[in-house]
Amino acid sequence: MALKLPRRSVLQTGAAFMAGSCAVPFTRALAAGKDTVTIGWPNDVGSWDPNQRFTPDAQAIFKAVFDQPLDQDPQLKLIPHLIKNWSLAPDALSMAVELRDDVTFHNGDKMTTEDFRYTFFERPKSGLKLDTANSWRKVQDIVVESPTKATMKFASPAPTAPQWLAFLGSFMVPKKYIESGGLENFLKKPSGTGPYKLAEYELNSRIVLERNDKYWGPKAKIPRVTIEIIKDPSARVAAIQSGAVDWTVNVPVREVQRFKDSGFAAALEPITRVILLQVRNDLAFADKNVRLAAHHAIDKAALSKAFYGGAAVPLSVPATPGTPGYMPDYTFSYDPELAKQYLAKSNFSPSNPVKIGFAATNGQFPSDYDIARAIVQMWKRVGIEANLQVIEYAKYFELNRAVKLPETTLYSWDNATGDPELYSGYLLNPKMPFSAWKGEEVGQKVLKLLNVAEYDARIAGYRELNRFAVEDGATIPLLQSVLTVVHKKNLTYTKYANGWMLAQTLQWS
Amino acid sequence: MIAIVGKLIARRLITAVPILLAVSALLFCVLRALPVDPAAMSLPPTATVEEIEAKRHEMGLDRPLPEQYVIWLTDALHGDFGRSIQFRRDSGSLVATTLPATIQLAASAMVIAAILGIGGGLLMFRVRGTLLEPVTDMVSILLLSIPEFLWGLILLFVFGVALHLLPFTGQVSPELPAPRITGFLLLDSLLAGRVDIFLSACQHLILPAVALGLAFSPTIMRVLRSSLFDVYHEDYIQQARLRGLSEGHILIKHAFKNASLPTLTLAGVQFGILFSGTLLVEVIYSYPGMGNLMVDAVRNADLPLIQTIGLTYCIVVLVINTFVDSLYVVLNPKLRVR
Repeated sequence: MALKLPRRSVLQTGAAFMAGSCAVPFTRALAAGKDTVTIGWPNDVGSWDPNQRFTPDAQAIFKAVFDQPLDQDPQLKLIPHLIKNWSLAPDALSMAVELRDDVTFHNGDKMTTEDFRYTFFERPKSGLKLDTANSWRKVQDIVVESPTKATMKFASPAPTAPQWLAFLGSFMVPKKYIESGGLENFLKKPSGTGPYKLAEYELNSRIVLERNDKYWGPKAKIPRVTIEIIKDPSARVAAIQSGAVDWTVNVPVREVQRFKDSGFAAALEPITRVILLQVRNDLAFADKNVRLAAHHAIDKAALSKAFYGGAAVPLSVPATPGTPGYMPDYTFSYDPELAKQYLAKSNFSPSNPVKIGFAATNGQFPSDYDIARAIVQMWKRVGIEANLQVIEYAKYFELNRAVKLPETTLYSWDNATGDPELYSGYLLNPKMPFSAWKGEEVGQKVLKLLNVAEYDARIAGYRELNRFAVEDGATIPLLQSVLTVVHKKNLTYTKYANGWMLAQTLQWS
Repeated sequence: MIAIVGKLIARRLITAVPILLAVSALLFCVLRALPVDPAAMSLPPTATVEEIEAKRHEMGLDRPLPEQYVIWLTDALHGDFGRSIQFRRDSGSLVATTLPATIQLAASAMVIAAILGIGGGLLMFRVRGTLLEPVTDMVSILLLSIPEFLWGLILLFVFGVALHLLPFTGQVSPELPAPRITGFLLLDSLLAGRVDIFLSACQHLILPAVALGLAFSPTIMRVLRSSLFDVYHEDYIQQARLRGLSEGHILIKHAFKNASLPTLTLAGVQFGILFSGTLLVEVIYSYPGMGNLMVDAVRNADLPLIQTIGLTYCIVVLVINTFVDSLYVVLNPKLRVR
């Protein structure tokens, strides 16, 4: 017997369903109350193992669920967190730490120095292929003296060990929970000591956090935080515009003023990310005159005005204002005439230009490709003809390792700690894959500084290195990067100089 | 009829094996030919050259390409598709997690494309020779010229931002805990007896599905119209007219039935294309599907994940083609005689 459906009824039911579906209140936007907040965020965490990968964009999310041994205040000063006291030995070969004794993981386990040892020694050495295995490779052992006291032992001086305890991947994880339940269970139900617990997670779509009411520190003001992973900048604009999210970042720079005019709080926040030209010390750039000419020919203020509304500070050294390596009194001038003179010394001129290769990403950071095109034009005026090519950010390291980068590459470098080792110490270290510069003199200076334990001497050394590297043409710093932030006016948050946007600091007014 | 369909499926299963082998080998070779080093990509930038070399050896990348392929194939046959470089998880499990959402989206989009395409095709044919013909022509060309991601943005701004009618991020409202039984949220919400989640999921599905559907409907419209033109030259249409049947009756009961076969073939082909069209639409709507994952994989040169997703696309297309051919047998009596 054939099943006969009355056609009219089917159509009517279908139409009613569609209409009803639309008529059901669009709950998310209408439900925004003081107890919830929705954030539009451009990237997912990838994995809920916070030690696994160094992803700067995920650090703010990890900081909601996990705690770091040390923290930074909004001005980036290192402050106690899970670690109450720390003392780096004068030779930087060991560091004694004292943990808080009132911290519990979300699963109820009490945090002790066993967890500390597990996170920073046992796990990195276990062959799990964690990125922290690299950052903590100098750790020889962590000697546990009591549930709250331990000493980190380093194979070679580790002067930035305290900074690294507040940096990428350094999040405390629960030893017992992972060992007894397995890693897969931990990835599904991560247990940290942070101010929020993970309530729900959908890959590439949504993270829902619920307040940890047993948190050892100041409780988060908003009980429930939803993080919508919205990768497309236009979709983020639409989401904040429509009220689907209350707060978002990385919208196009040109949208910031429009949002301000339409009743939102919007800002271009300078952060500790530098935009610079990574430079090779061979090919056409073997000639110092060409390198210095390339630097003098760039009008950084014009770039800032054109692409960042003037909010990005022009830089003369690879460090941002307010960080220890920054040199406020030092300026590398924009001087096209001087650039022409340098080129003339090497028999180049606008009619006989020096030809160089120039690589840039397109879409890795705001206006990157446009900045590169503008620089090409600036160079053309003084006698440098650059062949611009687009590369993927992920390929930078590989091309650099294979010595296949062109003379210069537009690059952005994030350093949430603000420490100069993590600027010039990495960017100019010829042994690291970040540095395109392989010159011996700069390299020797960097390697020497990596072993300087005394803080003031270390900072003075890096300032001197910065000046030397810039005047040698080993680096061409351009701008301090900016972060675009848009949010509802009655939503406030703590601004961090490194651009961290922490859910636990959000508050409705 | 069941026997014929069964035979067809069996035949397709047999031919699928060499096709999948060829596609997997091609994908493998193309990905290995890219100037990307999976060993270096899977380690942090601070890794030393020695560590990268050790990793390369561990991953078998220092062996000849055919040997690498055989290793990959053996592992794949045992369900191990390799570890995603970006997510550091098994690629197979990542695809399995995201595939249901994409199938759900693509199937909904296909239904919308079919409704709009068939409705539009019939309308276009019905208004032939009238003043409305150029209007319907223009509308179909307009629909044809707008790609799915642009529809995605247009619909998002109109219905999400301006009219504030529909949600446009994710699969379901964050207040509602999504049940996970089969991975197909619409089905899971019904199995869990949660009508509120089902309705919310429908709301979230409308914009991305319509964006994809709108982009693929005009092809169906135009093919159906031209098929109807062909069918109307057949004698049985004249005979139906002589029997005094109304034009509407002839169109729906006689002409459409026969004209629908080429349209069905096209719809099958379109579904494969539509499936790959989910890539950008999923990114725009933060839809947690395989397309979104693929965009991530390509951006991060995550070769094992790209390979797994590419192979999954191939399998989906093969399944769809088999389904359409089976449907063809069901709808076309001539094919059942052989």
